[in-house]
Amino acid sequence: MSARRAPRVLRVLGALWRLNVAEELQYRANFVASVVGTLFYLATALLTLALFFRHTTSLGGWDYWEVVVLLGVFNALSGVVEAVLRPGIGQLAEQVRSGDLDLVLSRPVDAQAFVSFRRLDVWRFTDVVLGLTLAAYALFRLGHPPSVSASLAFVVALGAAGVVVYAIWVALMSLAFWFVAVENISVLFDALFEGARYPVTAYPGALRFVLVYLLPIAWTTTVPAGALTGRFGPVTAAAAAAVALVAFVLTRVLWQAALRRYTGAGG
Amino acid sequence: MRAWLTRWGRRYGALMRNAWLVDLQYRAAIVLWVLWGVVEPAVALGIWWAIARAGPVGGYDRTDFARYFFALTLVNQLTLAWDSWYLDRWIREGELNFRLARPLHPAHEAVADNLAYKARTGAILLVVWLLVALVWPTVRLPVAPARWALTALAVVIAAAMRFFISFTTGLLAFWTTRATSIMELHAGLSLFLAGRIAPLALLPPAVASAAGYFWFPYMLAFPVDVLTGAAHGTATIVHGFVGQLVWLGLWIGMWWVAWRRGIKRYGAVGG
Amino acid sequence: MNAPAISAEELSKAYQVKVRDPGLGGAVRALLRPRYREVRAVQDVTFRMERGEIVAFLGPNGAGKTTTLKMLTGLLYPTAGRAQVAGFTPWGGGPAFKRRIALVLGNRQQLAWDLPAEETFRLNRAIYDIAEGDYKARLTELVDLLDLGTVVDKPVRQLSLGERMKCELAAALLHRPDILFLDEPTLGLDVTAQEAIRRFLRAYRDRYGATILLTSHYMQDVTALASRVLIINRGRLLYDGGLDALIARIAHTKRLELVLSSHVTRDQLAGFGTVLELDFPNAVLEVPREHAAATSARLLAAITVADLSITDPPIEEIIQRAFALGGAEPVERTA
Repeated sequence: MSARRAPRVLRVLGALWRLNVAEELQYRANFVASVVGTLFYLATALLTLALFFRHTTSLGGWDYWEVVVLLGVFNALSGVVEAVLRPGIGQLAEQVRSGDLDLVLSRPVDAQAFVSFRRLDVWRFTDVVLGLTLAAYALFRLGHPPSVSASLAFVVALGAAGVVVYAIWVALMSLAFWFVAVENISVLFDALFEGARYPVTAYPGALRFVLVYLLPIAWTTTVPAGALTGRFGPVTAAAAAAVALVAFVLTRVLWQAALRRYTGAGG
Repeated sequence: MRAWLTRWGRRYGALMRNAWLVDLQYRAAIVLWVLWGVVEPAVALGIWWAIARAGPVGGYDRTDFARYFFALTLVNQLTLAWDSWYLDRWIREGELNFRLARPLHPAHEAVADNLAYKARTGAILLVVWLLVALVWPTVRLPVAPARWALTALAVVIAAAMRFFISFTTGLLAFWTTRATSIMELHAGLSLFLAGRIAPLALLPPAVASAAGYFWFPYMLAFPVDVLTGAAHGTATIVHGFVGQLVWLGLWIGMWWVAWRRGIKRYGAVGG
Repeated sequence: MNAPAISAEELSKAYQVKVRDPGLGGAVRALLRPRYREVRAVQDVTFRMERGEIVAFLGPNGAGKTTTLKMLTGLLYPTAGRAQVAGFTPWGGGPAFKRRIALVLGNRQQLAWDLPAEETFRLNRAIYDIAEGDYKARLTELVDLLDLGTVVDKPVRQLSLGERMKCELAAALLHRPDILFLDEPTLGLDVTAQEAIRRFLRAYRDRYGATILLTSHYMQDVTALASRVLIINRGRLLYDGGLDALIARIAHTKRLELVLSSHVTRDQLAGFGTVLELDFPNAVLEVPREHAAATSARLLAAITVADLSITDPPIEEIIQRAFALGGAEPVERTA
């Protein structure tokens, strides 16, 4: 018995995911619908970009194919949101309302991990694939493939972006403990994330301030895309990782405070 | 005649009261929906504002863009229609049955719902616009009663048109499970052709004129242009209203056909 | 003027269902050359209900109860046959027809979930054009009969299932319909609520001569409420008549329920009939109906018994047997 057993939470999640995937794979129609839907949205986004670039040659200093790289990253992150976050922690408000959360809390697994990852919308991972493919194509059109260090920086930055997005969801959903009656808190994220469609530098002063410093959502797409195209170096990627770590820790604290309040008051 | 008016007045009064009270329960969620509706034009404005830094783009300078998108936000909120979503649900989850057993066409409930929601959210946005206009003169519009009256008319016709489009699309649920996908396709097209992402003048000319052959400009871009004053001159305004009325009539016709055929099919296969 | 309140003649409903072979090949074949199979949900259902009758519609799930109900209320049109309700043909009956009926279906969605039931009452008042005076009077009466005083001003989502059902009924009856179609009105309710609703429906019928057709799984609904039973299975009407007659027809056995004074073995009891249950001091035996009395006498002579009662098998069982009758036999119609 030389192999160490994975922590219980991973085992539980693994079992859930196997079930989940087996269920979802039955619905091939969903796969086609998912891919068609994503292609449609990508087409819409590309046409929008084309419209902007009809009247300008650069958005915030980024030229067309650089922005397409960013669009690919945006789509990939959206895929993670739709595949993992929305069906998982996005359901928290509903679980609080229905009392389902109490069941979760009675289990010997970390509640945050369990709630966050118990369900996957498997077919939405195609969004991630499509997004990264688009980014790769745009890189090809840019003519200079990323160096090894740029690629590594990209992976780190993308991972950091994923963590930041997750942290934002945890923070928003913690609000569900206080504002149980607001059933569509996840809409706040969608509204926020709209700001991440374009490079941070494309926005005028006041809006940029909001999107960069107040609600740092714009960074989640700008930094990874910039790392890939060589605008940002490994230092920026490392900074992104640090921000992600801080965000994760802060929101974990928030979550636990919210949970304490919930179990203390509600029981 | 008097009796008819009283009866329908009372019915709509009751329907709208119910809708208003339910919306009151969901007021926090509604604020979030309104926020979501504001973000898209805000981001678009941000981008165009940056693009127009060096000078006017396609005849629009920064002020024009600001006015356009503020007007767009308000007009969109007053005309948007989400009926296809809940109609699809009604049909597929058996919630249409008790409505069909009542002596009231289900469409009236939908209309009253729309009116209550739009009164509430339109008021919110109007107040927001006024507050912003206090600190940012760029988005102020001249006080011109004639223009506002025409805008109100154009908005009402546009709202009616979008209602019938949405309702008819929802009725497709009698035949397909993908009715909401069709609505999303329509939303995607209207992003460009109705002027949500940019004034129509900024589209490639071929696309803009193609849009003119359909209802898209009349459901959003036209009322917005009337409000901002971009649509001036009797010819433009008359052309716009004629287009609106023609398409409204066509969509009412399509709705009528879809309803009759749909109910027949519902009676054949059940729900 | 003795037209029946409800009349169904050879009412039938058949669906064309697409036949699809599994797998990708099957999917493609189904697209290019669709094949159809006919599903007969309801076949030649014929019955009449006079004004003021309460009739229970029994059948397993998928038997055709709800389909028949929908045809009688105009939600579905029949593929064959005729129906007349309150003098109207349900399909295409229009507003005049809808004012005469009430329909309470399975998912019971009429009440606005987030608002007090009062608000839905007010809405129905407007929809059915009920005059103010009538509305107040009827509301008071319904609230009284259903004991809703404390409940109508609370949001519906806060009510218990029983309270919600009562409010649903009140909302459905404000316009004082002549004919009520109720789909499982007591489903999921506790005993008190069930009895309250049965009392109410009887009272409503007694007061206004309403005709009530209800579907149910509960035998108490049938015994306490219905004068007549319609049994349907696989789309066909198997039985139309009183419950007692049904029991006599179908139940060929009786049950002897014993409370024993001293221990007996299973074998000892088996000499008198089939032992269904032996759990001292209780025992249940099944014996042929015609021998029930004689067997009881023999048993009392042979074994010391504290109590003995002769009962019919549980009605559920009887009904299950009735369901199994299938379509071969002609419909039993007893007065």
